[in-house]
Amino acid sequence: MSEALLTDLGARLVTGSLSDEELLADTGTSRPVQILPDANVVKIGGQSLIDRGRAAVFPVIEELVANLPDHKLIIGCGAGTRARHAYSIGLDLGLPTGVLSVLGTFVSSQNARMIHYLVARHGIPFIEPAQFAQLPLYLEERRGVVFFGMPPYTFWQRNPETGMGRIPPHRTDTGVYLIAEVFSSRSMIFIKDERGLYTADPKKDRSATFIPEITVSELKALDLQDVVVERAVLDLMETAEHGRRIQVINGLEPGTITKALNGEQVGTVITSD
Amino acid sequence: MGPAVSDQRPHLESFLMRESLLDRAVERSTETPVFRMLPDSYVIKVGGRSIFDRGREVVFPVVAELSAALDDGRKLILGTGGGARTRHVFSIGIDLGLPTGVLAQLAAADALGTAHMLGTLLAPKGVVAIPPEIFGHLLPLFLHAVPGVIYNGLPPYSIWEHPPRVGRIPPHRTDAGCFLLAECFGSKELILLKDVNGLYDDDPRQNPDAVFIPEIGVAELRRRKLRSLPFDPVILDLLEHARLLKQFRIVNALQPGNLRAAFAGEKVGTIVHAD
Repeated sequence: MSEALLTDLGARLVTGSLSDEELLADTGTSRPVQILPDANVVKIGGQSLIDRGRAAVFPVIEELVANLPDHKLIIGCGAGTRARHAYSIGLDLGLPTGVLSVLGTFVSSQNARMIHYLVARHGIPFIEPAQFAQLPLYLEERRGVVFFGMPPYTFWQRNPETGMGRIPPHRTDTGVYLIAEVFSSRSMIFIKDERGLYTADPKKDRSATFIPEITVSELKALDLQDVVVERAVLDLMETAEHGRRIQVINGLEPGTITKALNGEQVGTVITSD
Repeated sequence: MGPAVSDQRPHLESFLMRESLLDRAVERSTETPVFRMLPDSYVIKVGGRSIFDRGREVVFPVVAELSAALDDGRKLILGTGGGARTRHVFSIGIDLGLPTGVLAQLAAADALGTAHMLGTLLAPKGVVAIPPEIFGHLLPLFLHAVPGVIYNGLPPYSIWEHPPRVGRIPPHRTDAGCFLLAECFGSKELILLKDVNGLYDDDPRQNPDAVFIPEIGVAELRRRKLRSLPFDPVILDLLEHARLLKQFRIVNALQPGNLRAAFAGEKVGTIVHAD
C-alpha cells in the first residue's frame, strides 16, 4: 500500500495516529508556500470606529482607498456595541456560546455591508466565507475586498476557559488575524481608536502607559487585566506559521494607516517570540 | 433603550456597553447558566478509518445497531470522519506546503463523502446527510421531523482553523466537531464509535499486559502522557472548559451489542470525564 503513496510521510499519515507527536512534528517540515504574500489584511474596529459613524469612518475609508494603488487590502470588520447588546440579552437568556457566536456574526456582517457600500464605487466587493475562493481575483482586479471579521465557527465556537464567562473567545480580531495567517499576508493591521497597547484601558485609567513594541511572551508575562486585541490572537501567534507580527494603530489619527501600510513603526507592534 | 454617550463613543444600552470585552473582570461577569437546546439527543461520531474504511463487514453491523437505536426512539446526530482519504489529502497538501487552514478546508470533503455513504445506508429510516451550510441552523427542526441526522463531523473552521502547536495537521477534526456540537446543543451524550475498546495504560497491540481504563478524568489522562490517543487530543481542552457536556465515551463498534449496551447505561468502553 505504501508504495502507491506519494511520500513516506503519506504512508505514515494513512496508517499512524494523528495524536503521535513525532508524526505530527514531521508534518511541519515541508517548506510552506505563501498564498498571498503581497496582500495586507486590515481590520476596522466595530466599537472603536464604525459605531462612531461618519466622523470616524469616512477618513479611515478615504485613507484606505488612497492606499489602494500601492497596497492590496483585505478589509475585515469588527462588530461593536450591537454585539454587546445581543451578547447581554443572550447571556441573560442562557444561550450557549455557539449561539452567541452566530449573533456576533450577524453584527459584524452588518458592519461589513456598510463599509462595503462606502467603497463600492471603487469596485470593491463584499465577500462571505463561501466566496473566499474569489478573493485573489478581486485583489488582482480591484485591489481590495471587504469581509466580516467573525470566524464562521457559529455553533462550533469554543467556550472560554471555565470561570472566564461565556462570550465567544474567537471574535473578529481572531477571524481577521487567521485570514492573515492562512494567506501569509504581508501585514496584519488592527485599526482601532487608541494609539495601540497600554498597560491598562486608557479610556478608564489615566495612568496607563503606552507600549510601542512587545513580544507575545513579554505581553503574557505582564498579565494585563485588559488588552487591546483578543487574547486568542496572542495564543495563535505563538503557533502561527506566517502571522508572526501584528500592528495596532489609531485610525482616528490621519496618516497612521498609510504609515503602517508603508511598514513604519506606528502604534504598537506585537511579535511572536 | 436609547443610546448612551460618556466616552465620546455612542453605545446601545446593555450591561456590556462601554466595556472592553477583553477585561477579565467583565469576562468573568458573563458566566451564566446555559440553556440546553436538544437534551434528548445523542451525538455519535462514526469513525472514518476505524469503521467506514473497513467496508461492509464492519459497516453493516454498525448500521444495524444504529437502526435499532433509531427504532427505539433515540434521537441520533451522527457525525462522520474522513478516514484514509483525509490522511491522503493531508499528505499531498503538506508536501505542497499548504497551510493548516487549507488542509482543514480540504478535509471537509472527505468526511462529507462518508456522511453520504452512511446516509445512503440509513435512507430507509429517513436519516440522510445534511449539507453543512444549513445543518447547524436547522438541526432542531430536522431532529423533530426525523429520528436522526448525519453531517460531516467537522467543525466549520475551514481556512479559519488554528495553526497547531506542532506540525501542520488541523487540530479541530471530526471528534472535536462532534464534541463542540454536543456541547452547544446540550446533547445527552457523546459517543465516539471506534475500532478499539477504549483507553489502555499502554498499547495493547504491543504489550499484552496493558491494562484497560474504564473511566478516567482529564487531569489524570494528561498526567499519564499516553503516546497516542484514539480521539482528537484537542477534545481534552474542550472537555475541561465544557459547561454542559461533562464526559464522553469511546466505544468499540467492532463488537456487536456495544452500542446497545452504551445506550442502556451499561459499563462499556472508556468514559473520559471532566475533573
